Amino acid sequence: MEQKKKKHSQLREIWRRLKKNRLAVFGLCVLILLVFLAVFADVIAPYGYDEQNYAETLQFPSWKHWMGTDNFGRDILSRVIYGTRISLQIGFISLTGGALVGCILGAVAGFFGGAVDTVIMRFTDILMSIPRTVLAIAIATTLGPGLTNAMIAVAISSVPNFARVVRASTLTVKDQEFVEAARSIGASNARIIFRYIFPNVMAPIIVQATLGVGTAIILAASLSFLGLGIQPPTPEWGAMLSAARTYMRDYWYMVTFPGLAIMLTVLALNLFGDGLRDALDPKLKK
Amino acid sequence: MMKKNEQNEPLLSVRDLTIHYITDDGVVRAVNGISFDLNHGETMGLVGETGAGKTTAALGLMQLVPDPPGKIVSGSVKFAGKELIGLGKLRMRLFRGKEMSMIFQDPMTALNPVITVGEQVAEVIRIHNKVSVKEAVKQAAEMLETVGISSERMGDYPHQFSGGMKQRVVIAIALACNPHLIIADEPTTALDVTIQAQVLELMNRLQEKYNTAMLLITHDLGVVAEICDKVAIMYAGQIVESGSLEDIYEDTRHPYTKGLFGSLPRLSSKLHRLSPIYGLMPDPTDLPKGCSFAPRCPNRCKACEERMPENHEVSPGHFVRCVLYDADRQ
Repeated sequence: MEQKKKKHSQLREIWRRLKKNRLAVFGLCVLILLVFLAVFADVIAPYGYDEQNYAETLQFPSWKHWMGTDNFGRDILSRVIYGTRISLQIGFISLTGGALVGCILGAVAGFFGGAVDTVIMRFTDILMSIPRTVLAIAIATTLGPGLTNAMIAVAISSVPNFARVVRASTLTVKDQEFVEAARSIGASNARIIFRYIFPNVMAPIIVQATLGVGTAIILAASLSFLGLGIQPPTPEWGAMLSAARTYMRDYWYMVTFPGLAIMLTVLALNLFGDGLRDALDPKLKK
Repeated sequence: MMKKNEQNEPLLSVRDLTIHYITDDGVVRAVNGISFDLNHGETMGLVGETGAGKTTAALGLMQLVPDPPGKIVSGSVKFAGKELIGLGKLRMRLFRGKEMSMIFQDPMTALNPVITVGEQVAEVIRIHNKVSVKEAVKQAAEMLETVGISSERMGDYPHQFSGGMKQRVVIAIALACNPHLIIADEPTTALDVTIQAQVLELMNRLQEKYNTAMLLITHDLGVVAEICDKVAIMYAGQIVESGSLEDIYEDTRHPYTKGLFGSLPRLSSKLHRLSPIYGLMPDPTDLPKGCSFAPRCPNRCKACEERMPENHEVSPGHFVRCVLYDADRQ
């Protein structure tokens, strides 16, 4: 019972510190709004995302269509709202996958060292020597277009970053006395990695992850923009930008709103991630 | 016959333990054939200056010498009649924390900063005893109360404790599974003097309560006098003199031990200057052929530089490794 109470007060403590950071709160609000939009897109969106109306093609923003309509007469606002669903999904799922693999590889490499370290790190070096976008394009091309394949491509391309960050932090943590102390009480290697190493390298992982979700969303959008990711008529922001680019000169709003959506999402993620890192650090606790 | 032997068998019996660090710059001979026995409930002080190999010896007992570069070259460590060297990794792991555990020098860094102290104490219990989380937490609370920390503070993190309190937590972790042997590696060095006294008193009390044997590693002869039954003086990876507390303090034989006492200030006599031991400890990658203390020894002779001195039993249980006590010289 008491233990539970403590857990609660600890969460409250983190929340209290997060609240002090206004930018982080702003980021969090925007994120909550975006998640809300993504979940309830069917209810909120005024039109269906693939509802074509040839009587109202290429309309400027108006009260009827807040963000205007595209060349097929589809409501851009509705498409942006549905796009939130796809983008957040890609961002979070692919990043979680990439982070999981990357963290484990990095921790194993840093913790065991020697030949294991060499093999894993040289492999990530190879991946890192290829620019991320090019790597993602190569993977997406190999696997073929589609939502799942785009996620796999983004996930694989985010693995090396996590592996590097986690390995570097693991190297500093594993030589600390408390790891030796853990050995002296008979803790197994797995226990040491999960209970002693990971919690202590959480801060860089969180930063990398929140920045990473942003990058992952941009990368997925880029893939779609190039026609390698999500296929029409699914409303993905990058794909929308790609489709709209031929109309950019005359109908600015077609590219503006999906672009703004990407920017706002990534900005919110970055602000929130920074705030979260500060709030989670127990050493800053007063 | 065997049964009888087991009764009288020491808890810990170390024979010719030799540990080297193999580096690119040569072989660091950190521990060179140390031997000693420790009985149930006994406290032995392992004294020596920095770099004498005390900590390496302790890590060797726990099979925790970092490998590479460290390597246990030879020797035997018997714990309750069971040979530890060469024991499988898994069996050794089950051993640590349950049968023998370690108290570290710096409590500031020996605790995991992101886990509450309650969880850290409960962790040892969970590793070694098959109990539920609830039961482990309950036992951890009791253990913390025993070392003088209110169980209300179980949910606090290490940085919320002072140095002395942290060392109490470390002691609680070491004692949580009721080990037979505790290896305390300079447990009070990082603490200030008043806290030192408290922590030593606590360790002494708990040791008596649980009848735990303790190997106390220190360079503080005052601390040794306070709580040890036996003393071993280490120099350049060898035990140069060992015996009961009285043997070492009242009947000092080895020139190095005499030097150590000579360099201590005493309240009883007014001295202008302390008498230091001149010179430095030899480079462990390049130890002298004969006695390692010979270059600094005021009593050195030709024999010291030529051969390794033998271990002499000058009185029952009092061993000295010095040519001064060779039979033919006496």
